[in-house]
Amino acid sequence: MEIMEGGIDKINLITKRDVERKLELQKRKEDKSNLAADNEKLGYFEKTFANKRTHIENLLMHSNTIEKHVLPDHFNDISKEILLLQKYVANSNIFLRSYDIKKCQESIQELTNKLKELEDELLPKKKFGFKNRTKPKVNNKKLERDEVDFHGKVTVVAKQTCGFSNRVGEILEIGGDEIFKKDVTVENLENCKVKILGCPSTLHLSYLKNCYIFAGPVSTSIFAENCTDCTLVIACQQLRLHASKNVNIYLHVTSRAIMEDCHSIFLAPYNLKYDGLDNDFKKSGLDKHCNNWKCVDDFNWLNVDKPSPNWSLLDEKNIVDYWGNL
Amino acid sequence: MGFLTVLKKMKQKEKEMRILMLGLDNAGKTTILKRFNGEPIDTISPTLGFNIKTLEHRGFTLNLWDVGGQKSLRSYWRNYFECTDGLIWVVDSADKRRLEDCRAELHVLLQEERLAGATLLVFANKQDLPGACTPEELKEILELDQIRTHHWQIAKCSAVTGENLLKGMDWLIDDIAARIFTLD
Repeated sequence: MEIMEGGIDKINLITKRDVERKLELQKRKEDKSNLAADNEKLGYFEKTFANKRTHIENLLMHSNTIEKHVLPDHFNDISKEILLLQKYVANSNIFLRSYDIKKCQESIQELTNKLKELEDELLPKKKFGFKNRTKPKVNNKKLERDEVDFHGKVTVVAKQTCGFSNRVGEILEIGGDEIFKKDVTVENLENCKVKILGCPSTLHLSYLKNCYIFAGPVSTSIFAENCTDCTLVIACQQLRLHASKNVNIYLHVTSRAIMEDCHSIFLAPYNLKYDGLDNDFKKSGLDKHCNNWKCVDDFNWLNVDKPSPNWSLLDEKNIVDYWGNL
Repeated sequence: MGFLTVLKKMKQKEKEMRILMLGLDNAGKTTILKRFNGEPIDTISPTLGFNIKTLEHRGFTLNLWDVGGQKSLRSYWRNYFECTDGLIWVVDSADKRRLEDCRAELHVLLQEERLAGATLLVFANKQDLPGACTPEELKEILELDQIRTHHWQIAKCSAVTGENLLKGMDWLIDDIAARIFTLD
């Protein structure tokens, strides 16, 4: 009996081991098939990618034989295909290895480059037919054309803005509702006196020579460039001064003033007085009691230990107290 | 556990976008940044270097870089190009005299290899000003139709009123997300 029982134990043990072994086998098999599925996924991706890539390459190759008037559409189609391919890669990046992604990106880049080359070759942007040899001349012409176009556009839209331009030796005045919350542009003036009594949203000053500018509080920024031998009496949130020299500024600025490529700039506090100034300050939203007129950042002077040589405070004896009856 | 943590971390990292904001000086870059982040905009000074803001929006982490636009700073823009997912080009739509300048700077920028693939959003800012150019006019003046190297769109906006800011930003985020993230 003892032997029999021992035998049964053995048999049980063996069956148990067999079951365990089978389970283990099955598990391994499953693992393997999982792995295979991954590989298949990868394989499928690689196949699809290669197919799409060949398709695009074929399209590119056929570009030479396609008639000119359908070429733009043809190129558009190709760039769309490339885009789709890129999206496909992006959507698959969860199971791709970084090396695969890199390789795919490279081939996409290659396709894009090829497309661009072909486009440049077959569909040049501007072609002067028989005058290909005189290249620099063509360039000049193009630049000229651009400039003309550009100026044309400016005059088209310039009508809507307020301000003054191209005047010599005049006294100019603008103010009130005409400029309230608007952008005022003052440019190309010589020997002029300009009064801007009100509160515009922004103020642009450019190419002024020997001018006086008197302005009420500007609610955002004043942008000034190429001002020479001028006196500005201005209030604003920000002042940006560029490429100017010999300018006296009577300034009220609530945040900060900056300058770039300027020299001989002299600063004094804002001292303009006219009827309704307080009201204009209120309307502009500027704080009348917050004036950082001495805080100027010079982009050409990054040394914090020494003050910038490009600007200084206006000598007190040279300060004008009263600007007359404005 | 370990594997899950790694996955989770990757996921978090995936949701990050680096967005670079450039444009001429006085275009309103910092104002857009502050407005977007809900900060006051009446104390903004001209940007001397750069500002960085990290903010959460629609489940994405946006790293917004706002670099000053002064002429003397433009040569430093290149230092910020690396790993940029989206580029916001801010235009002062009311500053007509410098639009040509603006066009030239933009097209030089787009040739930069390290920005290849970045999505471009052109913000036609300062639409609250009555003399501002429309996005259609700007598209022509800035020759945006010539851009083939980047996905781009122009959106009008006003940083002062906040108009259209979110809409433009959402387009940018969607476009970047479609390109670099697997859709959930």
